[in-house]
Amino acid sequence: MNFTKSWRAMLLLGGMCVITGCSSLGVEPWDRDVLAKDEMQLVSAPLDASLDDHIYFSKEASSGGRGFGGGGCGCN
Amino acid sequence: MSKPNNKRVSATLATATCALLGATPSAPVHAQELDKWDFDTALLYYGEDGDRVTDASLSLLATRKLVDDRSLTLGLSVDALTGATPNGALQQSVAQTFTHPSGNSAFTVPAGELPLDDAFRDTRVALSAKWQQPLGRLYTLSVGGDVSNEYDYTHLGVNAGLSRDFNQRNTTLSAGLAYSSDEFDPVGGTPAAFSPMLDVGDLSNRTGAETKDVLDVVLGISQVINRNTVVQLNYSYSNTEGYQTDPYRVLSVIDGSSGDPLARTPAPGVEGPSHVFRFESRPDTRTKHSLYTLAKRYFGGKVLDVSYRYMTDDWEIDSHTLDMHLRWPIGARQYLEPHVRFYTQSAADFYTVSLVDGQALPAFASNDYRLGDFDAVTAGLKFGFKMRGDHDASLRLELYQQRGTISSAQLVGNQVGQVAYPDLDAVIAQFSYSF
Repeated sequence: MNFTKSWRAMLLLGGMCVITGCSSLGVEPWDRDVLAKDEMQLVSAPLDASLDDHIYFSKEASSGGRGFGGGGCGCN
Repeated sequence: MSKPNNKRVSATLATATCALLGATPSAPVHAQELDKWDFDTALLYYGEDGDRVTDASLSLLATRKLVDDRSLTLGLSVDALTGATPNGALQQSVAQTFTHPSGNSAFTVPAGELPLDDAFRDTRVALSAKWQQPLGRLYTLSVGGDVSNEYDYTHLGVNAGLSRDFNQRNTTLSAGLAYSSDEFDPVGGTPAAFSPMLDVGDLSNRTGAETKDVLDVVLGISQVINRNTVVQLNYSYSNTEGYQTDPYRVLSVIDGSSGDPLARTPAPGVEGPSHVFRFESRPDTRTKHSLYTLAKRYFGGKVLDVSYRYMTDDWEIDSHTLDMHLRWPIGARQYLEPHVRFYTQSAADFYTVSLVDGQALPAFASNDYRLGDFDAVTAGLKFGFKMRGDHDASLRLELYQQRGTISSAQLVGNQVGQVAYPDLDAVIAQFSYSF
């Protein structure tokens, strides 16, 4: 995959989303009752997520995505 | 003309405002703390079958929320690692003797068994801190740092993130930057690339500690779709410069026609390797790109969380990860959360199961199973329940399985049918308590 292209495409998508498209999506501030629940946060269980990231970083060749690449271990 | 009493005017306005909002006026809030610390704690057990790696881990996240949406999060994690890990040498039909990484002693692996280095024992302590606060009305800034230490490894990292809300906070753009500097000081020293495993007491192929630096950049957008749905898309770039070889891992040197390991004889009166093994070597640069998407949807009290990640790097590894959680409430105070995760990766271009005697050494080679071609599945279940005082507890049990393949082009002579990818089965058990 050409990542320079995909990066540009994502920036373009983000820019367009901010300016036009996504402004029709979303909810009014008083309709956020469900979105405000703990279980609806993007990372709803931070400790589970960081433990999983550490396990998979140690056992697979990929890491990160949700956040930074993680690591910080010799991990054999 | 008398000077207006500002305090009285303020108090009157506050009372009037509170009356309009239906609240009672309270004492003025200065820049001080709300309530107290929140703690998330977890005990985790990770165990691989066949006497391989076991990790017992204790983790703590302490969060202090302050006024004006500012917060401080401190993390502590202690891991106790024991067990054995494949050392890269091939399983053979004869017994094989190896020198321990320390160079102080030797160990023998029986015929037909996968060579594991059983001297694997370590304690890791990791600390982290993160400060988050709004900047103006629409921006949020976070800065953090982390440090970890093992017997042979030290990590120092800093990170920062900035996000901005748009469209009545329905769209958020974010950017993050992390930099880390790590030092690897292997037991017995760092072996020179492709140098042979030597007899006990001979450390002439070893040098001192090695370092690596990692730069991570994450750009993201999250979007509220409707009252019940939110989505996220992240692009991540990661660049590592420095030592990325596993100093404890070797490759078997084989005969080019039979595929059998090349025997060697230790010096008289000294223990040492029974066969020729060379320490592995990896490139000292690696650049990774990944795209990550997440969708969360609430329906009838349940929450479905689905994410997908594509990663590619200049070691020619491509991977796909699909992860799904479904939180299913049972009454008002309990829930069940099944979890499945599918992962697949292609092998690094220098993934090699053995080196052929008499052939020129490649630029890089490693038989680390984690750089091979494999699929992995995780399946698990979490049970969560609310306790008195709104304390939360949960139990999580998961099974993790890796199944790999070695391309037939890699296998020589007798290796066919004898050499297999070191498949992995592990259990993950976790107890969490938040208060």
